[in-house]
Amino acid sequence: MIELKHISKWVTIGGKPNFILKDVNATVNEGEFLSIMGPSGSGKSTLLNVIGMLDEFNEGEYRFFHEEVHKMKEKQRSNLYKQYIGFVFQAYHLIDELTVYENIETPLIYQDVKSSERKAMVADILDRFNIVGKKDLFPTQLSGGQQQLVGIARALIARPKLILADEPTGNLNSKQGEEIMNLFKQLNDEGVTIIQVTHSEKNAAYGKRIIHLLDGRIEREE
Amino acid sequence: MLKNYLKIAWRNLLKNKTFSLINIIGLASGLACFILIALYVADELSYDRYHEKANRIYRINSDIVFGGNKLNLAVTSDPMGETLKKDYPQVEAYTRLYNSDGYRMVKKGSQYIREDNVAHADSTLFDVFTIPLIAGEARTALNEPKTVIVSESTAKKYYGTTDVVGKLLETDEHKSTIYKITGVFKDIPHNSHFKLDLVFTMQNLDYQMGNFLSHNFQTYIVLQPGVNYKNFEKNFTQVIDKYVLPQAKQFMNINSMDEFKKAGNRLEYNLIPLTDIHLHSDRRGEMGVNGNIQYVYIFSAVAVFVLLLACINFMNLSTARSSNRAKEVGIRKVLGTERKSLVNQFLTESTLTVFIATVFAIAIVWVTMSWFNDLSGKQLLFFSLFQPQYILFLAALPLVVGLLAGGYPAFFLSSFKPIAVLKGKINAGFKRSALRNVLVVFQFATSIILIVGTIIVYRQLNFIQTKKLGFNKEQVLIVNGTGGLWNKSEAFKEDVSKLAGVSGATFAGYLPVSNSSRNDNTYSTSPVMDSKNGFNMQTWIADYDYFKVMGMEMVKGRAFSKDFGTDTSALIINESLAKILGFKDPVGQKLYTYFQDQSGNKLVTYNIIGVVKDFHFESLRQGIGPLCFRLGKPDWVTAFKVNTSNINDLVKNVEAKWKTYAPSMPFSYQFLDDAFDNMYRVEQRTGKLGLTLAIIAIVIACLGLFGLATYMAEQRIKEIGVRKVLGASVTNLVSMLSKDFLRLVIISTVLAVPLSWWAMNKWLQDFAYRINIGWWVFAAAGVLALLIAVLTVSSQAIKAALTNPVKSLRTE
Repeated sequence: MIELKHISKWVTIGGKPNFILKDVNATVNEGEFLSIMGPSGSGKSTLLNVIGMLDEFNEGEYRFFHEEVHKMKEKQRSNLYKQYIGFVFQAYHLIDELTVYENIETPLIYQDVKSSERKAMVADILDRFNIVGKKDLFPTQLSGGQQQLVGIARALIARPKLILADEPTGNLNSKQGEEIMNLFKQLNDEGVTIIQVTHSEKNAAYGKRIIHLLDGRIEREE
Repeated sequence: MLKNYLKIAWRNLLKNKTFSLINIIGLASGLACFILIALYVADELSYDRYHEKANRIYRINSDIVFGGNKLNLAVTSDPMGETLKKDYPQVEAYTRLYNSDGYRMVKKGSQYIREDNVAHADSTLFDVFTIPLIAGEARTALNEPKTVIVSESTAKKYYGTTDVVGKLLETDEHKSTIYKITGVFKDIPHNSHFKLDLVFTMQNLDYQMGNFLSHNFQTYIVLQPGVNYKNFEKNFTQVIDKYVLPQAKQFMNINSMDEFKKAGNRLEYNLIPLTDIHLHSDRRGEMGVNGNIQYVYIFSAVAVFVLLLACINFMNLSTARSSNRAKEVGIRKVLGTERKSLVNQFLTESTLTVFIATVFAIAIVWVTMSWFNDLSGKQLLFFSLFQPQYILFLAALPLVVGLLAGGYPAFFLSSFKPIAVLKGKINAGFKRSALRNVLVVFQFATSIILIVGTIIVYRQLNFIQTKKLGFNKEQVLIVNGTGGLWNKSEAFKEDVSKLAGVSGATFAGYLPVSNSSRNDNTYSTSPVMDSKNGFNMQTWIADYDYFKVMGMEMVKGRAFSKDFGTDTSALIINESLAKILGFKDPVGQKLYTYFQDQSGNKLVTYNIIGVVKDFHFESLRQGIGPLCFRLGKPDWVTAFKVNTSNINDLVKNVEAKWKTYAPSMPFSYQFLDDAFDNMYRVEQRTGKLGLTLAIIAIVIACLGLFGLATYMAEQRIKEIGVRKVLGASVTNLVSMLSKDFLRLVIISTVLAVPLSWWAMNKWLQDFAYRINIGWWVFAAAGVLALLIAVLTVSSQAIKAALTNPVKSLRTE
């Protein structure tokens, strides 16, 4: 599904390249649950953004479903990730002005899904996540765990093949975090590929495979 | 403390350069408009106030309706002033001015120079007006026949010195008169409703005095202190009964006022305060072109609005950016600052901004002053700004405007609760503010109203220019002062008409443009003149070829012709008169009038020989009234129909001919279409000034919108990032960011339409002939505003939409 070859990314500071990612090679197959670990500044989030096609890299090759991402134009890339990838953030990044229902619906609007169809899909997912009762509330009226639930619902609404989660439980207490991780596991069992970035050994353990990053390199794999 | 405030205010200005710049540019242009228009308005309001007795001087106006013809005159009959002084002790003094004979030719060396600002005056001139003499004796200056007083600059023009008392001054080549100069007066200030360079004595005026029925004299009276002029006006009924009626009985068979009134006629006198004349009086026989209080109101209102628009920018940007300041407020409050001193701090900031803007505004005023003078027809001086009262005004301006613009933001910003701020809860909720939306709507509605107003003024001007007038104003060359050629005027006319490119020639003392000669006469449909059959109308004298040269059409009968010997008693009437008279076939009908000479009243009979198609002989503000032509030689003006592409050469040739006939007289010409355009100078000025103000208003409004859009985009950067990650395209985002603003502009359009329709409809009511306001005008103004707003907002929206979301979504 994902094939990264010799991926490097750097910024030039004072004429010297400062590597954020250095010669990263990785393959992720469909149905995997991969955790990326590493200390702060090791390049975890950058790697996730590169996989999510939100960030550029300076060198290397990236194939997504055998398509060469590094040769694509912005527009093609954005079409590709719109179709296949859902994002979950540590800070949830829900839109404060929109209700729960509208937040979840937003990706569908951008994919030109018909209104009636959208309704059905959002109702479906609200039901599944047990948040039907909260659909008219605004994000600020929810607890952190509930907000992240909405965030995941929003990531899942367009039925992506891959979910990229950047420390999804970072702002949650342990009980809420556990619930979220169980939800990921359940999704993975249903066949959704998941890549998460995390600090926590415990959460990382939910993954079937762990990559450890240090200073932009893959240090080891478990 | 103040120093501390100023220091922080200054740093804040520097920190947010974009917003400071937007505020300062907006406020500076708003203030510049405001200062210029304040100067303009102050000048308009200062008219005639320089006279010591200004608040006790009144002019006598006459309102006459006779035979369906309405006359509102700035003049009255010659004995009126003296009668009032004699009969009523409330009248302290009176004086009369007479300028019906127009210009005078004054001899300088071997040449004659045309002087337009001339009048005859009573020797009591100085009892009424404050006209300081720098030479001569005010008490006696105009006492004797053939005396004249001249202005300082006129004295210098003719003699190179003001030491001219006792010198002689010669006027008018053919009926040459020599006057003795008995005084030199200081030039009349520009803010006077009369402009005078030469004032002749009333003593040897060629006029039959003592006639209460002829109205030709501007008459001013000074009332005793404490006399209410409205009450005094009631005495005019007595004056009419005692003096006017006996003469009316004698000359016009009018026996009583009741009978006169029953036939729908009216004769009334009233007083207008001297200081009201310039802005409130637009009558026939004014001493010059007056201003109009309406335009003073309009421009003052617009200036205040433009300044308000700039203040709104300040308010909106300050409150929109409040979250940036919230933390500072929170910390200061925690440190123990009182709210009052926070308010002071914010007010210092706004005042400092306005102060800097005022400095720029004064620079703008300095640069644009001459251009503004062109636009407004004034001679304002930049340096008059440094008179004490203006310095006070300029000093007060930043304080007042700073308070106006900064008051609301100051109280708003200082109201934050420190805990809420420090917990970071303030950030949300400032993105939308109802008040801010209302203010933006106000800005755009104002701009749209100005755009609509400007479009309509320009369309009305265009309508006037292209309207079928009943005569052809194109390619008619008018040579003034041909009366000065005396008995050679006919020969001059013939000579010029032989030039190549000239296809017709006529004497044309009466022209269908304002400030040409006019002549009112009383006629009757029966030989007995009474208030039932009598009526008043314009009586013009025309030459044989007049109708051909002016391109006027005869609808019935014929024009004057040399083939008919009887044309001296012939009358050509216009369609309007034909309609009023109601004759089935006017040609062949008779009209009667009385002619007064030494032997008394003589009846004259005229035969109507033709009807000329109605033509506009006054400005299109007025309808077409009844008018007739008699045959004659009104040779003080000669008109030539020209037919050439090389106008300049032709004019040179005509001038060369003129020089052979009158080497000592100035050659003065104009084109009929230019004279026509002159009638609409005020409207043209209004149009140009309106256009400028509309542009400034919309620029200010857009500056504000730009600032808001920039700030919104900044504020919503996270949301934009999220949406982008969720798959929003640039188009999606731009439309999302612009939508809110554009909705406001659309609401503004909806509000502006009825308001501007109402206002412009009112303005158009001044014109008897006017355009219909089409719906497209509003559509055009709305679309224009929308387009400008789209351009302003979308640049910021696109910039925001193109930002890489990764940058804005970093959690750290």
